Amino acid sequence: MTASTPEPLLALSEVNTFYGQAQVHFDLSITVARGHIVCLLGGNASGKSTTMKIILGLVKPRSGDVTFDGASLIGLTTPQIVRHGIASVPEARRLFADMSVRENILMGAFVRNDRQAIAQDLDKMLTLFPKLGQRLSQRAGSLSGGEQQMVAMARALMSRPRMIVMDEPTMGLSPLYVDRVLELIRTINQEGVSVFMVEQNASLALEIAHEAYVLQTGKIVLSGSARTLKDDPRIRDAYLGGAEAA
Amino acid sequence: MSSWLDYTINGLIVGNVYALVAVGLALIFGVSRLINFAQGSIYLVGAYIGWVAVVQLHTPLPLTIIVVAVAAAIVGLIIERFGLRPLQNSVRIAPLLATIGISFVLDQLVMLTFSPNPRALPSQLPDVRFQVGGGTIGPLDLLIAGVGLTSALLLFVFLRYSKLGWAVRATAQDRDAAMQMGVDVNRVNQAVFGIAAALGGVSGMLVGMYYNQIDTAMSLQATLKGVVAEVVGGAGNVPGAVIGSLLLGLVESYGVAVFGTSYRNLFAFLLLVVVLVLRPNGLFASARQAPPEPLTGTFIAPSRPVRIPRWALLAAAVIFAILPLFPVSFYVLQTLINAWLLGMLALSLTLVAGTIGQVSLGHAALLAIGAYTSALLSLTLNVPVGLAIIGGGLMSAALGTLLISPSFRLRGHYVSIATLAIGEIVSLVILNWESVTRGPIGISGIPPLSLFGTDLISPTSIYWFSLAVMVVLALLQGRLLTSHLGRSFRAIRDDDIAARAYGLSLNRYKSLAFIFGGFAAGVSGGIAAHLYSYINHETFNTQQSILALTVVILGGLGNVVGAMLGAVALVGLPEVFRIAAEYRILIYGIVLLLLVRFRPQGLLGTI
Ligand SMILES: Nc1ncnc2c1ncn2[C@@H]1O[C@H](COP(=O)(O)OP(=O)(O)O)[C@@H](O)[C@H]1O
Ligand SMILES: [Mg+2]
Repeated sequence: MTASTPEPLLALSEVNTFYGQAQVHFDLSITVARGHIVCLLGGNASGKSTTMKIILGLVKPRSGDVTFDGASLIGLTTPQIVRHGIASVPEARRLFADMSVRENILMGAFVRNDRQAIAQDLDKMLTLFPKLGQRLSQRAGSLSGGEQQMVAMARALMSRPRMIVMDEPTMGLSPLYVDRVLELIRTINQEGVSVFMVEQNASLALEIAHEAYVLQTGKIVLSGSARTLKDDPRIRDAYLGGAEAA
Repeated sequence: MSSWLDYTINGLIVGNVYALVAVGLALIFGVSRLINFAQGSIYLVGAYIGWVAVVQLHTPLPLTIIVVAVAAAIVGLIIERFGLRPLQNSVRIAPLLATIGISFVLDQLVMLTFSPNPRALPSQLPDVRFQVGGGTIGPLDLLIAGVGLTSALLLFVFLRYSKLGWAVRATAQDRDAAMQMGVDVNRVNQAVFGIAAALGGVSGMLVGMYYNQIDTAMSLQATLKGVVAEVVGGAGNVPGAVIGSLLLGLVESYGVAVFGTSYRNLFAFLLLVVVLVLRPNGLFASARQAPPEPLTGTFIAPSRPVRIPRWALLAAAVIFAILPLFPVSFYVLQTLINAWLLGMLALSLTLVAGTIGQVSLGHAALLAIGAYTSALLSLTLNVPVGLAIIGGGLMSAALGTLLISPSFRLRGHYVSIATLAIGEIVSLVILNWESVTRGPIGISGIPPLSLFGTDLISPTSIYWFSLAVMVVLALLQGRLLTSHLGRSFRAIRDDDIAARAYGLSLNRYKSLAFIFGGFAAGVSGGIAAHLYSYINHETFNTQQSILALTVVILGGLGNVVGAMLGAVALVGLPEVFRIAAEYRILIYGIVLLLLVRFRPQGLLGTI
């Protein structure tokens, strides 16, 4: 790490997680610096989504600590953690399928009570995601995958979070939408929101990330700045398709 | 003679009452995927609170409605907070069992407080009827319609425009995602339980006024009807529940018009079974599927079964076998005979519910089939009693398996609903099929137990006979469970998708379990018929099904020795402590609740 690294906003330290007897995380330590985009890479079933769930308090670690802005999140419920300023874009988006797009976006502001500011933020979302304007009263479940991803991101932003955690935000999207989503993540980040994202697609993620970690069956096997990792032969071999990517 | 319009009006009014129950069930199912079997008990409580308000406190009608709604809501909140919230992280079946236990406790408390005798609940409304077209309508009809419409409107406004209402809808659609928006799911649960209870309580009061009578039997009926309406409309679907209720009311009303009153419930349950089999997600299921039940390891409480050495089992068997040689009272033998009969039923249920994971709530129906078959074989065809009992077992095995087989593709709570409905259907068919079953009169003069031409009349011989049958069945079942077949059963219970992937045919194994279980239960029912010498359609009722389930959970789901131990404990201990009969059901309910909460693996552990 260089001396200029800002203080960490989120830190997982030596987290061990179990589902029943099966251990999913082995002494997992990750930090997300304030204002950065940090990416967690890894293959299927390596424990990426579980990491998200640990941060959000949906799964409790057996040992280790999770701190956000210096305060421990261990023992807090998910709603309490959300109120601390962490919003999420879950795996497969998980919209409220039978609610309208407008209702979905507004659900993101559930923890807020400032009605007028919420209305303004809704307008802001429509400038950020112009396509959603015509879709507001439509059932969220009827949208295409890419549109649903936009709704999920708008929904997450509505809580005015300090940090957003995203689980495979580009999964299942057409190439056009993948670019759009990555661009939006960068925009969101430039407005001051820290981002922790989980991805299988390393080449895409490393385009926009500041730092990245590589998870393999629950252990961090590699970490560093995105720039160095992009050129790391181990990453190239494992995730960027070896020679082709070069 | 009433006109068709009258039957339609009656159907819609009754449907309105069902809707008040079903909407609550749908709200609760929506947010917590739980079928609240205590809903009918809240309805019962509402009716009795209404009675206290009207008859003792002389409250005016609007105030009565408010008092009932508020008091019932408080009961609902208490159930949620103390009965269900502690179970949030336990096995999946736990909350369902807890609501069954709660319903027993509430019903018995009401019965102990107000006595089981029916009471009149006057509506305070003028007794006039207005002519409408070819039918008539009274002020009470209008009141019920008014309450129904007002509740629907309030609920709509709540769900559509309040923040908590949004939280309810979001939670119903995706609990985890709702939590990630900051929704406090406990508050949502509280809200739906409060609302469901308020609606259910008012519904009970209205029904009491409609028939000008309330009694404690209302509870189970209301739960059943509410569940039917809710499932017909699509579990968790609130508008669907309303439409399902109106449909149910009409089907029943027209059914009664054509076939007579005793067919009312038969139509309700047939409707349920047809919907469950053909459209398990309800008539109005959208593309959205009912969420699948979770798969692995969530059904049965993980535990290491208590190992009982062979010599100890043998010693226990010997002690019980020689017990009648000592000067024990007739009363003790009688009690233990009941325990052995219950033990056979529990063996059957522990196989079906514990080993293969089909939690049956209608197991008493298998007793009834065995009992009627054996009684009729011996009475009308002069088949020797010993053979007739075996015939009862075979009939129970065949018919029970046949009846349940269309529901084999159902999972989780749906299996329980289907078995409950089939149990009710069996009892209603017995009631209505007079040419064979003698209908409501029942069958009397059933010959006593006999073996190879010798009548078994002394308590000692009956004791030995039933003990021997139970032990033989238990040994067979023990063998079955340690065999390859037993392992396949458990594989299906633990993860039916994986089991199917390994090439196990689920239907075949489920059938085998029900055949064996049906036989054991049928034999128990057969013996009971000859022991009692009189049976009718109510001899084997839901209470016994639930008692058997409590026995099985007490012993440890799937545990053969546990089933017998549980039977002795639940039948024997209340006798030992001389607990009056009316407190027993209360105790069974409390035992079930405590077990689910503190020892879901039972005394001897699940297998
Ligand atoms: N709720 C659960 N219960 C049991 N095992 C789980 C559960 N969720 C995930 N797992 C297991 O934990 C491991 C990691 O899963 P996950 O974190 O979802 O991985 P990823 O997101 O990297 O694909 C996998 O082997 C998965 O099967
Ligand atoms: Mg994942």
